[in-house]
Amino acid sequence: MSKYLQIIRITFQEYFEYRLNFVMWRFRNLISFLTLIIFWLAIYGEKDKILDYQRSQLLTYVIGVAFLRGIVLASRSVDLAGQIRSGELTKLLLQPLKIFNFWFIRDLTDKALNIFFATIEIIIVSKIVNFSLVLPKNSTDFVIFVVLVILSTLLYFYLSFFISVLAFWTEDVWATRWLLGIVLLELFAGAYFPIDILPSWLVRIIYWTPFPYLVFFPLKIWLGQASINMSIKIILISFCWLIFFFVLASVLWKKGVKNYGAFGG
Amino acid sequence: MPIIEIKHLKKYYQVHKKEPGLAGSIKSLFNRKYEDVKAVDNISFEIEEGELVGFIGPNGAGKTTTLKCLSGLLYPTSGGVSVLGFNPWDRKYPFLKQISLVMGQKNQLWWDLPAIESFILNREIYEIPKEQYEKTLDELTTLLEVKDVLKIQVRKLSLGQRMKCELIAALLHSPKVLFLDEPTIGLDVVMQKKMRDFIKEYNRRNKSTILLTSHYMGDVKELCKRIIIIDKGKILFDGLLSEIVEKYADHKVLSVVFSKEIDAKKLEEIGEVREYNYPKAVIYVKREVSSVASAELLQHFPVADLTLEEVPIDQIIREVFTGKDVA
Repeated sequence: MSKYLQIIRITFQEYFEYRLNFVMWRFRNLISFLTLIIFWLAIYGEKDKILDYQRSQLLTYVIGVAFLRGIVLASRSVDLAGQIRSGELTKLLLQPLKIFNFWFIRDLTDKALNIFFATIEIIIVSKIVNFSLVLPKNSTDFVIFVVLVILSTLLYFYLSFFISVLAFWTEDVWATRWLLGIVLLELFAGAYFPIDILPSWLVRIIYWTPFPYLVFFPLKIWLGQASINMSIKIILISFCWLIFFFVLASVLWKKGVKNYGAFGG
Repeated sequence: MPIIEIKHLKKYYQVHKKEPGLAGSIKSLFNRKYEDVKAVDNISFEIEEGELVGFIGPNGAGKTTTLKCLSGLLYPTSGGVSVLGFNPWDRKYPFLKQISLVMGQKNQLWWDLPAIESFILNREIYEIPKEQYEKTLDELTTLLEVKDVLKIQVRKLSLGQRMKCELIAALLHSPKVLFLDEPTIGLDVVMQKKMRDFIKEYNRRNKSTILLTSHYMGDVKELCKRIIIIDKGKILFDGLLSEIVEKYADHKVLSVVFSKEIDAKKLEEIGEVREYNYPKAVIYVKREVSSVASAELLQHFPVADLTLEEVPIDQIIREVFTGKDVA
C-alpha cells in the first residue's frame, strides 16, 4: 500500500515543481468555464426556458461540466504514449509494479487536485454570476449520480489508456488523441452543452457511442431528468462500455508490450 | 546450476524502410517494405553465480538487446532464456525483485525530483525493510561519495553524479543479478575508474552475478575475467580474457628505437614492419621466434632501446571484429 502513497507524494511534488504550468492550466479552465457561463446567460437573456432547460438547470449543467472535467475527463495516462515512444516505459516495466495501478494512482492524485481547485473556481464564478445551483431532487438520484461518476471515471481511464497504448503501433498517437480528444470526445460527452439540444437523429447516433456516459448522463441524472428505469439502463450500458474498454486496453497492452522494442541503446 | 542460461536465443526486429523526403513518406504509407533486422541471431551461453562477465561488441552488435531479453523487456523471437530459474518475460515479482538493469544512456530516476524521492519509491516498490534500506543507502552513498547531492533535483546533477545515483537506485534492493549497459558511458577518466572500482567491489562483497556491456576496453580489461564478444548478433568468442590473447594473437610486438638511420628494407627480414618512422619502429614477429628476432635485431642494427610485448588486447578485439587475421 505504501508504495502507492509514495507515488501520490511524487505526483504532488511534480506538480509543485511545475507550479506555473499548473496555475496556467487552471486559469485556462477558469476562463473557458466563465466564457461558457456568460455565453449561456446571453442566450437566455430575459427568457427563463430554452430547449427544455431552465436557466438555472443549464447553469448547473455548465458548473457540473467544470466539475466533472476535473474528475472524469482527466487522466495522466496521456503521458504513457510519450513514454512508449521515448522508451521511458522501460523503467516501469523493470519494476515489480502493475502499470495500470501506477497510472490510476497518479490519476487519483490528479483528480484530487482538480476537485480542490475546481471547487474554488466554482465558488468564485458563482459570486460573479448570481444564480442558485439546482440540487438532485432526491437521494436516489444523488446515489445514482455518484455511482455513474465512478463508472465514467473508470471508463475514461481505460479509454484514455487504450488510446495511449496505440502508441505501440502508430507513430502519431498525438494526432489521434487530438481528433478524438478535442473534437469528438468533449463534444459528444456533452462538455460544451447538453447533447439533447442537438437534432434528434444526431442525438441517437451519439447515444451509441461511449462518450455521453462520461459527462452528459451523470448531469442529466443530477438534474433529475432521467427516470429510474432510464437511470438503470444508463448504468448498465456505461458498465458494458467500461468492460469493453477495460478488455480492449488490457489485451492491447499485453500485445503491445510484446511488440515493444524498448528503443534506444 | 547456472544463474543465467541462454539457449539459441534469437531476436529479430521488423523495421520498415522509408525513402527520404515527403514523397518517401507517402510511398511508405501505401507500400511499406518491411525488413527483418537480426539483432540477436542464435546465441547461447551460461553464467554461473558470482561471475562478472564482460559483454563486448561494437554498436548495434546485439549487446543491449540480449540484456533486454534477459531482464524481461523484450520477448524473444525464439530460443530459451532463464535467469535465476525464471523466464524473464513473465516478469514475475520475485524475479524482478532480484534483478536490476542499469542503462548508461537511460534515466531511471525521476527527473524533476531529488534522487532521494526515487530511492524512497524504490524502497516501497521493492518492499525493502527499513533498516536494510538505511544501511544499504548509507553504504552506497559513502562508497560513491554522493551523500550531499541526494536532495538536489536529478536534472541539476552532473552526469557523473547522476550515474552514481542511477546505480544506487538500481542496487538498493540488493539484486542478485545485475545487468549493466555501458555504465561508464560519458564519464571522465577519473569517474570511470571510480565506477569500475565500485563495480568490482560490489561483485566481490555481494557475490552478485554481473553482466556488463561496454565498448570501453578499459572497463572490461579491469573488471572481467571472462568475456563474450558479440558482433552482428552472433557470438565470436566466449572465454577467459587471457585466452583471447593466446587464441588470436600468435604474434608479439617488437618496439625499437634506433640510434642511427637504417635501411628500412632490411628490417623486413626480421618480421612484419607495422610502422617505421625514424627513430622508432614497430615490428610484429611470430610468437615462437620472438626471442630470436630480438637477438637478431640487436646484433645487426644500431638499437638504442627495445621492448617485446603482447599485442594490446584492444587491438586483438578490434581485429576480431573486422575479421582480419590478428597481427
